[in-house]
Amino acid sequence: MSAQPKILLEAENVSRSYGTETILDNVSLQVRAGEVTTIVGPSGSGKTTLLALLALLLEPSSGTIRVAGRDAGKLSDAERSHLRNTFYGFVFQTAQLIGSLSVLDNVLLPALLAGKAREKRVVARELLDRLGLSARADFLPHQLSLGQKRRVALARALLLRPAVILADEPTNDLDARRAAQVADFLLGLPADGYALVLVTHDTQLAERAGNRWHIHEGKLTPPVRVTAVPTIRHEKFVLQTTNNETQ
Amino acid sequence: MLRLIANSLLRRRWQSLATILGVALGAGLLLAVFLLYHGFEQGLERGRQRLGADLLVVPGNATVDPDRALFAGSPLSVYMDKKYADEARKIPGVRRVEAQFFTQSLKLECCSVGTESRLIGIEDKVTQRLAGMSANGREKLEPDEVIIGSELLGDVSKPGSLIELLGYIFRLGYRLEPTGTALDYSILMPIDSARDLAAKSDALKPVWQDAGDPHDLISALLIEVDDPSRIKEIGRKLEDLGPLKVIRAADTFQRLKRLMNAFVFVLAAAGVLTAIGGVVYLLGHFSSVAWDRKGEWALYRALGATKPRMVQLVVGESVALALGGAVIGLPLGYGLYRLAFTQLSAQNSFPFVAPGVALLVAGAAGALLLYGFIGFLSAAAPALRVAQLEPALTMAQGDID
Repeated sequence: MSAQPKILLEAENVSRSYGTETILDNVSLQVRAGEVTTIVGPSGSGKTTLLALLALLLEPSSGTIRVAGRDAGKLSDAERSHLRNTFYGFVFQTAQLIGSLSVLDNVLLPALLAGKAREKRVVARELLDRLGLSARADFLPHQLSLGQKRRVALARALLLRPAVILADEPTNDLDARRAAQVADFLLGLPADGYALVLVTHDTQLAERAGNRWHIHEGKLTPPVRVTAVPTIRHEKFVLQTTNNETQ
Repeated sequence: MLRLIANSLLRRRWQSLATILGVALGAGLLLAVFLLYHGFEQGLERGRQRLGADLLVVPGNATVDPDRALFAGSPLSVYMDKKYADEARKIPGVRRVEAQFFTQSLKLECCSVGTESRLIGIEDKVTQRLAGMSANGREKLEPDEVIIGSELLGDVSKPGSLIELLGYIFRLGYRLEPTGTALDYSILMPIDSARDLAAKSDALKPVWQDAGDPHDLISALLIEVDDPSRIKEIGRKLEDLGPLKVIRAADTFQRLKRLMNAFVFVLAAAGVLTAIGGVVYLLGHFSSVAWDRKGEWALYRALGATKPRMVQLVVGESVALALGGAVIGLPLGYGLYRLAFTQLSAQNSFPFVAPGVALLVAGAAGALLLYGFIGFLSAAAPALRVAQLEPALTMAQGDID
């Protein structure tokens, strides 16, 4: 029996409420190195909140988030900030590029905030080259297409070689071809050792990614295994819950 | 971090420019107020030193403004018999009597001095006192030597240089330090030489026909007493000597001081209000910035900026704007001060000494420090609010412009 990949991120019985409204209810999840973790669910189901909790952008109302084995609840703001800077790479729903910064500087943003932009300049250029954007390094974001912006955001996420990439609806608003390009890139990351947490309602992307966790009204359902190939795809016909896929 | 601050300011260039200009006006006004205040203060002190007397005695028919006569060195073109000097010396309690003789106003052909220059004869005692006020001052002048005011004949500075006055050649003794008064535009020479020159002047002949031989005349007496509590009494005794007008320096000094204090209060109030205005302006600006740019700040937090780093970013922008404004404002302030100085110099109605380079540098450095602090103070509260922003905000926002 082969060794399990290392657990990088773990949510244990995590809940999050706003007032009397419970957004996430007793959620548990593990994210391992070199694996994709896909979270699918309808709008308002709590998947972005779950991602924010995993990313240490929010604090849970109850339960524990562990980052590389450390209880995030016991970390100081400086430690949480440092983890967000170096342990995580973020790809948000929109590219969220700073309009006044060049493409290169946008990629360098995490390093600029950490005060080490100079030493990461070469890495930033390599990433832009890898994503086919080296000719656009000095452009401003408004001179880029939507797909190019998303790729800049991908480069920014990878700049400091984080352990975990968190992608929130990364193919949102992209046409099929651009979406496929972004998906190809993202889904290739686990092979390089990255853990990828993918939040999406794009069924095509979710199917390609595998290891799908379903979230509905704040409750998380573990991955399911497809046991039959349907001619008409609809979850109520094709999905049968198992607990094996993450093992 | 500096790059992020610079980019942020450049991205909002019109907004930044407006803020910088607002700060520049305030900083400029503050520097001008500072320099004018010190110029007045030094001028008054210099005037007092130069006067070195408790009483000024002038002919009774002289229409003289005491302020101008005492502190601005205004000339007196009326004359009285020089015997009054000897009689004044005999009054008990009088320590020192100095006579002055005003020859005439000159129009210099070589220079544009903004005002007429005056030719005044002084006694050796005055020469000695003036010598103490100038680095290269000399205690005695030869008959053909002159002392020139700081604003006259700028290209003639070497002692011994020859100067032609009313067709006669004189040698430069030394140049006086600036006093901010008519003395800066005066030529001083031994009193007997001044009388000789006046006697030879065709233009003044009608004057001497009325007033008598200039060798027997004086224009004013400066009198110092032993006991200041006896000034009034001695003043009355001087008035009893003949048709003389006695001006008490202490009264005039106090009145001028009160006037100056009122003026300085207005200037200082303007300066303080300007500084407060700067704080309010920047505070308003950064309070609004904290709200308008919360998406950008939240992104920074999400990407790993610590709370102290967020404070540095916001405060850094504010300090950069404040310092940028101050740097632009300082030359403006200096220009404003020069304008006021030129006006005051032309009037010669108030003692004013142009502050030296050291004071100018100190004023500029002080303004920079003050505005740096104002920048810090204005952005501190908004920066702390920004640092408390929930980084999760970034998950729910669109692109950042």
